[in-house]
Amino acid sequence: MLQKSKPYLLLLPATATIVLLFFGGLFDGLLKSLGYFPAIGKMELDLTAYTGLLGSSDFWESLALTTRVAALSSLIASILGGIIAISLFMLSESAKSGAPRFWQRLFQLPLTIPHLVGGYIIVLLFMQSGFLSKILATAGVIDDISDFPVLVNDPFGWGIIMAYAWKEAPFVSLMIYPVLTRIHSSWRDVSRVFGAKGWQFIREIVLPIIFPAWTIAAFIVFVFTFSAFEVPYLLGVTYPSMLPVYSYQLYTSGTLADRPEALAVNIILAALTILLGLAVYFFSKRWNVLKGWN
Amino acid sequence: MERRSNLIRLFFFSIVFLVIVFPFLPLLLSSVSFGWQWPNVLPESYSFRAWEYVLAGSSGTWPAVGASLLIAGIVTAVNILLAVPAANALSRNKFTGKWLAEAIIFAPIVIPPFVAVMGIHLTFLRLGLTETIFGVVLAHLSPTLPYMVRAVMISYNTLSVDWEDQARMLGAGPFSRFFHVVLPHLMPGIAAGASLSILISLSQYLITFLIGSGQVVTLPILLFPFISGGDPAIASAYSLLFAGMAILTLLVMDVSLKNYYKNKKASTVKGQQRGVEM
Repeated sequence: MLQKSKPYLLLLPATATIVLLFFGGLFDGLLKSLGYFPAIGKMELDLTAYTGLLGSSDFWESLALTTRVAALSSLIASILGGIIAISLFMLSESAKSGAPRFWQRLFQLPLTIPHLVGGYIIVLLFMQSGFLSKILATAGVIDDISDFPVLVNDPFGWGIIMAYAWKEAPFVSLMIYPVLTRIHSSWRDVSRVFGAKGWQFIREIVLPIIFPAWTIAAFIVFVFTFSAFEVPYLLGVTYPSMLPVYSYQLYTSGTLADRPEALAVNIILAALTILLGLAVYFFSKRWNVLKGWN
Repeated sequence: MERRSNLIRLFFFSIVFLVIVFPFLPLLLSSVSFGWQWPNVLPESYSFRAWEYVLAGSSGTWPAVGASLLIAGIVTAVNILLAVPAANALSRNKFTGKWLAEAIIFAPIVIPPFVAVMGIHLTFLRLGLTETIFGVVLAHLSPTLPYMVRAVMISYNTLSVDWEDQARMLGAGPFSRFFHVVLPHLMPGIAAGASLSILISLSQYLITFLIGSGQVVTLPILLFPFISGGDPAIASAYSLLFAGMAILTLLVMDVSLKNYYKNKKASTVKGQQRGVEM
C-alpha cells in the first residue's frame, strides 16, 4: 500500500504548489473575467467582457500584431540559429580541437542576457539616432536622422522582432546542435565518394536530419514570443500593442470595469498557448525529436 | 581544402562579430559617454559619471541587487526541495495519472505565468501578500519550478536503482543512501536547474511589478524607468550590471559544481588510502 502511494506522496508538494499558485491564479482570473467580483457585491457570471472584446477592433488588431511578430521573430530566429548551428558543426569538423566548445558558450551569450537588456540593446542599435544610423551617416549613406527608418517603437513591431530573433537564435541552435553532432564523419566521407560538394552535403544530408528539431524549436520560439511582455512593452507602441501588453494596459487603466476585459484577454491568451503547446507536443512525439533516430 | 576551411572560419568569425560582439558595443560606449551626438560614431567625450551614479550608495542599486538575489535564492532553494522528490516519482515510477502530474507541473512552461499572477493579484492583495518579498517569492515559484523538475529528471534518468540497492546491501540507511549515493549523482541536474531558476527569477519584471507593487525593488524594477526613456548612459550602465549579474551567477554555479566534484574525488581517494593503510 505504502509502495503504491509513494509516487503520489513524492509528487504532492510540487503539484500542490503549482495547483495552488498557478492553476489557482488561472481559475481566479477566469472567474473575474466572467464578472465575478464579490468585493463589489457582484456574484453572478456573464460573458460581457468576452463579447466586448470580440466586438472591439483593438483586440483583433492586437491579436494580428501578436501573430505577425511571433511568426516573423520565430522565422528569423530559426534561420539565424540554423546558420549558427551548421557553421559551428562545419567548424568543429574541420578544426578537431576544443575550440568549438568555447564558441558554443559564446553563442549562448544572448540567451543569458535578461530580456529587458536585450530589448535595450536593440533600442541603442536601431533607433533613428542609434548606433547603426550614426555609422550610416558617417559613411555618407544617409544625410539626416529622419532618413533612417523607424525600427524601434514602430507600429509594425520590427524592434520586437529583432530583439527576439537575436535572443532566441542561440536557443534554436542549441536545440539543433545535439542532432548535428550525431552525424558521423564517415557519412561525410561517403557523400564525398559519391561526389557531393560541401553545399550538397548540407542540403541532402544535414538539412533533412535537423528538420524536425528545427521546426519544433521555431514553434517553441513562436509560443514564447506570443505570450511575452517585457520586450513588447519596451519596444512597442501604445496602439496597437501585443496581447500581453494590451491586457496590462487594460488592467492598469484604472477603471474597475476594464479589469474583467484584461483578464478575459489573458484567458484567451492562455487558451491559445495551450493549443499551440499541444501542437508542439504532438509533433515532437510523432517525429521523435527529443529522442532522435536510431 | 585548406582554403575552404579558412573560408568557413572567416564566415564564422564575421557572424560571431556581427551577432554577438557588435550589439554590445553601443551599450559599452554609451555607459562611459559624456554626450554622444548624432552622427558621431564614437562619443565626443568620456566619463565614468554613469557608473559612479549606479555604483554609489544613494542610487539604491545595492539594495536592489540584494533583493533580486535574495528572492532568486529563496525561490531556488524551495524549488530544489519541491523538485527532487517530484523528479524521483516522475522518472522512476509508472503509475496511473502520471500524465496529469506531468501536465500540471509543466503547464507554466506553456501558459504564460503572468496570466496566473494577474488573476491571483486581488487575492494576494486581500491576504496582505502584495508589496512583500514573500509574495514575490510565491509569484516566482511557478515560472521556475518546471525547469528545475525537468533538469533533475534528466539526472534521475541516468541513475540506476541498482546503485541504491547495492548501498542498501552494504547496510546504508535511507538517509545515507540519499546523501552519499543519490545526491552526488543528482548534483549536475540540480545545478543546471538552479542556474535556470535563478536566471528566470532575476529577469522577471511584470510579475515582480504586479505583486511587489513598486515596493519590492529588484534590479529590473529599478532599471526599467531608465531604459524606457531615461538617461541613456545610466540605462546602459544598469543594463551591463544586470547582464553581468546573470552571467556571473551562471559562472559561479559552474565553478562551484566543478569544485564539488574535485573535493568529492579528493575525499574518496583519501578514504581509499586510509582503507589501504588500515
